[in-house]
Amino acid sequence: MNREGAETYLRLVAEAELRGPMPPARLQPWAGLSGLTARLASVAQALTAVHALDDETEADILAGFDLAVTVRQPPDRAVSGPLGAAGPRPARLMFPSPGLGARGSRAGAALSVGRPARPAPSGPGPGAGPGPGAGPRPGAGPGPGACGPDRLVPIGLTVPYRDEGLSGEMFLMAFVHTAAGARFTVAWRASGAYDPQLSPVHPGILPVQRFTVTDNRGGRYHLDLTGSRVPEWAGDLSLRPDPPDDISWLDISASEGPVVRVELDPGNAEAVAEPVVSETKLSPGEHLLVMLAERLLTVAPEFPHDLRMQLAAISPGPLHTMATGMGDVIAALEAADVLSPLSPIPGRLAAVCAGMRVSGHGIAAPPTHDLPEPWLSLLAHYQRRKPDTTPVRDGYAAVAAALPELDGVRLALLGLLNTEGGSWLQVLARGLVPESPMGPFGIDHYFPLSVWIRDSGGRWHASRPAGWHRGSGEHVLKLQLVPPLSRSTAWIEVLAAGLSAQVRIRLPLRWGYPS
Amino acid sequence: MPNDPWYSCLPSCETLVPCAQGRHVVRWEAGQFRLPEHPDAEAELVLAALGGEKAGCVQLAEAWGRHTSDLSVLAVGPRGPADEISVSWADVEEAAQAGSRGGVAGFRTHSRPWRPPARQLAVPPAAAASHSARQRQADEEMERVRQRRNDMLSLLALGYGFQIRLAGQVAAAHAGSPEAGAPEASVRPALVAAITGRLALVAEQWLGIDPDQVAVSLHRGHGRGQAELTGHGAQRRLQVSLPASWLARVWACGLALTSGHLVVAVDRAGWPDARVLALRVPGIEPVRLDVHAREDGRDGPADAPHWEV
Repeated sequence: MNREGAETYLRLVAEAELRGPMPPARLQPWAGLSGLTARLASVAQALTAVHALDDETEADILAGFDLAVTVRQPPDRAVSGPLGAAGPRPARLMFPSPGLGARGSRAGAALSVGRPARPAPSGPGPGAGPGPGAGPRPGAGPGPGACGPDRLVPIGLTVPYRDEGLSGEMFLMAFVHTAAGARFTVAWRASGAYDPQLSPVHPGILPVQRFTVTDNRGGRYHLDLTGSRVPEWAGDLSLRPDPPDDISWLDISASEGPVVRVELDPGNAEAVAEPVVSETKLSPGEHLLVMLAERLLTVAPEFPHDLRMQLAAISPGPLHTMATGMGDVIAALEAADVLSPLSPIPGRLAAVCAGMRVSGHGIAAPPTHDLPEPWLSLLAHYQRRKPDTTPVRDGYAAVAAALPELDGVRLALLGLLNTEGGSWLQVLARGLVPESPMGPFGIDHYFPLSVWIRDSGGRWHASRPAGWHRGSGEHVLKLQLVPPLSRSTAWIEVLAAGLSAQVRIRLPLRWGYPS
Repeated sequence: MPNDPWYSCLPSCETLVPCAQGRHVVRWEAGQFRLPEHPDAEAELVLAALGGEKAGCVQLAEAWGRHTSDLSVLAVGPRGPADEISVSWADVEEAAQAGSRGGVAGFRTHSRPWRPPARQLAVPPAAAASHSARQRQADEEMERVRQRRNDMLSLLALGYGFQIRLAGQVAAAHAGSPEAGAPEASVRPALVAAITGRLALVAEQWLGIDPDQVAVSLHRGHGRGQAELTGHGAQRRLQVSLPASWLARVWACGLALTSGHLVVAVDRAGWPDARVLALRVPGIEPVRLDVHAREDGRDGPADAPHWEV
């Protein structure tokens, strides 16, 4: 890695920006950055993301640039604050440092249950392309006992409830018990119309205080709900106090409902194939560009539905501003020696831009045709005349699996749900460095892995973080799938990829439906 | 390389600054920032430390001293006589008041747009303490940023003459020498950018080349560097290799472009007469030129020396 080259490149971009048309004196908040300032911010964020530039140097350069712009404002130009007021710094980024994997591995040694990962030949993973054959599993965990939560059980049971005129169902997708505590992944749905005269409880609220939970030893538990904004009627139910590690079942019932027994012996769960790990051998720069391409491929949900359907038909596309500065980012990564000039990834990124009708990206490499299968699948989806015309019907699938460690991050899949017109994969992640949520071009950079799903019909679905909460070193993430998953999907293959390795696992789906 | 100080081709300069209820003269002379109306500034500093009010001139001298090796001076300061920086003393006062009202106005931490608040998660005492420590650290960082900006605004308000002299002093502090060795790796990016930003504008005047087509590398060791023009059209490039000392000894002294020549080094320093090594066109050996300075501000800002062959 050439840190001197990286810093020099960023400073030269700042010099060039200062010579150009004068940007506004105050940097706008991240979402509003555009044009020349966006170019500088994107390069800075990309270089910090790959650790070619430290946060302090980045801040120093951007602060200097901001002040240089401010003191060159003609007196008649509008300035929103006093001279010399510092603008907000663009977000700092975090990629896991080379040492992070080792830290994660040490932490993983304390875990008791997990599946050993075995190396296998690479498949057509995202960004990796036709890669090398089987090898060691460089990004993966140290072996048995290190790759999963303490206890992870797919459930797939419905618990009906009634509370002061409000009735509904709670669907238990998975049970997970880690050092942070025991919890169910749940979704719920109230039935009937909401009438505030009959019920003081809003149907969006799960009446957790009405549930009774007991274990096979007679222990009783309270439930605490941690919900999410999107999707609204889904979340985690934590058990309080923390149950013993070896309880074999829990009985759950609402005040006026039947008792539902939840078996917690993982041996009772449907057999799941072992995860298969393979090398990816991406450089940090290539990994960043892969995430950038996936960001483009998953941007559709941010647009109104009508516009989303026209994404492929609009030229120049609405993504134009999003791509400004990609060429500079690639040049910066090359200057930092984290991206080889011979890498095929810039050409693939150019091909994604072409497929999404994104112009103005400034990528010098011509588009290539050797795109990974998942990218091609998603591009084909966008290029259909009406890609999202089939309504997504609500449903919940019990799915649970622990994946081997990738780049210091260990994932456990905790459930899949279709609701509010979209599909979400609920994931437990350990080893994340949530310093900042946004990377260059809006990459959700605190989550440095790409997760793809191939459905039983052979179509690929990209994922993007759509919300998370954390506690005790763990993060529960909701990954939104693009496009949504059909409820007729019988099984999925999950492909999670990091800097140096990727893992695949095939999982059967047991769907439950709101009545 | 001559052993004379980098500022040997620069005359003194002075300006008026607000101090107490009036205005006082401050002067730059032979590499020193001087306060002619505060003959015993040291004593004034002692009094200020005991609770007395610190004079505006003294505060300026302190700010100057804090930044004589601060590379951000090069990032913020002027790239040339035509690069107008407009900071008035009223701006400085306004910025200082904004800072004293509660940190640096406009500084916000990055928002996290979609992160939902975690419900029902208690905050343990250790986490609260950690948060408090982070807040304290953030406050200290904010104060450091505010102080630095206020310093910088004050120094810029001194005008172009002082701005280029401070830039020269900073560059000289980091330039190294064949005897002392090349600039440290940690400062090379800032020096390369600083030279590029200034030379690009000089080259535009010299050759009519697009400033974005100028690439600079640091010349190491003995010799005066070189300039080479390659390619055509959009691929045209002016590759220039210069020692880091060029910034102080040539550019800060106003010698960079003298009578249509790119000056690459000073052979014999002096004011108002000097001998320089200069290129009429790229790709040839530099020639010695005897140059003479005129300080009438006719072709640029006040206190910007103008040299002629």
